[in-house]
Amino acid sequence: MHIALVIAVIISAILAVMMLFAKNPITSAICLLGILLMSAGMYALMGEHLVATIQLVVYAGAIMVLFVFSIMLLNLSNAESEFKNNPKMFYAGMTLGATIFSLLAYAVCTHFSKHTSSLTSGVFTNAKVEELGGNAKVLAHSLFSQFYISFEVISLALLVAVVGAVVLAKRKFD
Amino acid sequence: MEMFDLIAVMAKILFVIAISLGVIPFLVWFERRGSAWMQGRVGPNRIGPFGLLQTTADVIKFVCKEDFVPKNANKFFYHMAPTVALVAPLCAMAVIPFGSYLVLGDHTVNLQIANMNTGVIFILAFAGLEVYPIILAGWASNNKYSVLGALRGSAQIVSYEIAMGLALLSMLVVYGSFNPHEMVAWQNETIFGFLPRWGAFVNPIGALVFWIAIFAETNRLPFDLPEGESEIVAGYHLEYGGMKFAAFFMAEYVAMIMASGLISTIYFGGYGFLPGMQTILNLATEYFSLGVAGVQNVKALLEFTSFFSKVSFFMFVFVWVRWTLPRFRFDQLMDLGWKILFPLSLINLILVTLGVYFLN
Repeated sequence: MHIALVIAVIISAILAVMMLFAKNPITSAICLLGILLMSAGMYALMGEHLVATIQLVVYAGAIMVLFVFSIMLLNLSNAESEFKNNPKMFYAGMTLGATIFSLLAYAVCTHFSKHTSSLTSGVFTNAKVEELGGNAKVLAHSLFSQFYISFEVISLALLVAVVGAVVLAKRKFD
Repeated sequence: MEMFDLIAVMAKILFVIAISLGVIPFLVWFERRGSAWMQGRVGPNRIGPFGLLQTTADVIKFVCKEDFVPKNANKFFYHMAPTVALVAPLCAMAVIPFGSYLVLGDHTVNLQIANMNTGVIFILAFAGLEVYPIILAGWASNNKYSVLGALRGSAQIVSYEIAMGLALLSMLVVYGSFNPHEMVAWQNETIFGFLPRWGAFVNPIGALVFWIAIFAETNRLPFDLPEGESEIVAGYHLEYGGMKFAAFFMAEYVAMIMASGLISTIYFGGYGFLPGMQTILNLATEYFSLGVAGVQNVKALLEFTSFFSKVSFFMFVFVWVRWTLPRFRFDQLMDLGWKILFPLSLINLILVTLGVYFLN
């Protein structure tokens, strides 16, 4: 495994722990941003440039901006002093998190042990994707030919969400 | 990775960073002398010939100033903001090609730091990250004016990113590729026999929208509302002094250089030859009787000159516009972004798509 990949994994693990235990909402948001940047870096190191770029554009560049922006607008700056440590909630959250993590880890581990034995890989091997002109081109072709109906339906769902947001916001301001 | 490749990548990174940080003092000098020239003043002319050493004096002043941190500021984020401000545009420069390739022995060196198969979109990703230093600086300074500046800045950058993305998308439809090298190759042809097939001639509305949007993205006048001195003192970097302020200042220039490089690559032929350069190349080939590798290396040098002069021209335009137009009001800025540029770029995208569909 690449040494830079290991460093990225370690940094994002540290940031994740910091995100969980930070008292300040902005600190948590920035730590989450750090994790997203690190995972983009990991994808790029694996040679998956498209996934890395989408990660940066969508998550780091748009969703996290919205998070930080709304935290600032709601002015949660005094949340830090009002922060109360609720042990019951804390332990419940920790137990739930640990359960989900161990289930995920179990699923991943079992999948990887199966993978070597029976499953066959699909048409798009790394060499094949490279030959067709990279991930971006292959994805674009399949999105706009084979899967174009589902693609359009998803964009319609986004449109519905936007209209809904406008309606809700307008009612509040009127 | 081979040793040669590693050294080549390091050399390219060093070259790009050295050039983009190294021209800043000259740009600051030009900004001040140029503004004086445009307004019929003298400008700074005492230190060095034509006042050229004025920026050196400024740098010494910045470094020697007290490193002051406001009492109620969030120390960590307060120091993080200027760093991020400088890093994000420098990262974006990794994908902008400044020449085709060099031939060294039996190796070829691609004159672009990272050849990613998402190319131009990667630049947009890092342009999107330029919001964070503004938000962080405004929030961490714990000052009302800073927060106002940060809110203005983030709203402005997020709004104009849409128009910028759509203008870029219309060009991607024309090129059919994310790769900047392929874009430059496409633009090297001519239309009607004399006009270079630059993106700006093929898609003028897209070029105009993109050009306006990069002014808003880099917080330059007439869109420098986040630091509007007459209303909110200095906006998001109000509480910053000394070298920390200088970092924001440099970041603005690096972002301008990056934006100029991007617009030259996408709309103005990138590192493609300017008129007359082919003649120089032919003359040099004959005069020095160069081999194939030599011709390619001289060509790369000329291409870098061409790219550099295009970027310099756009930097000049940045200064020119700054000292020509007054600052907008914030509602005018939002109207321009959402009611004019956004529909205009959408209509343009549809027209360009139809054009590409029927002409190909």
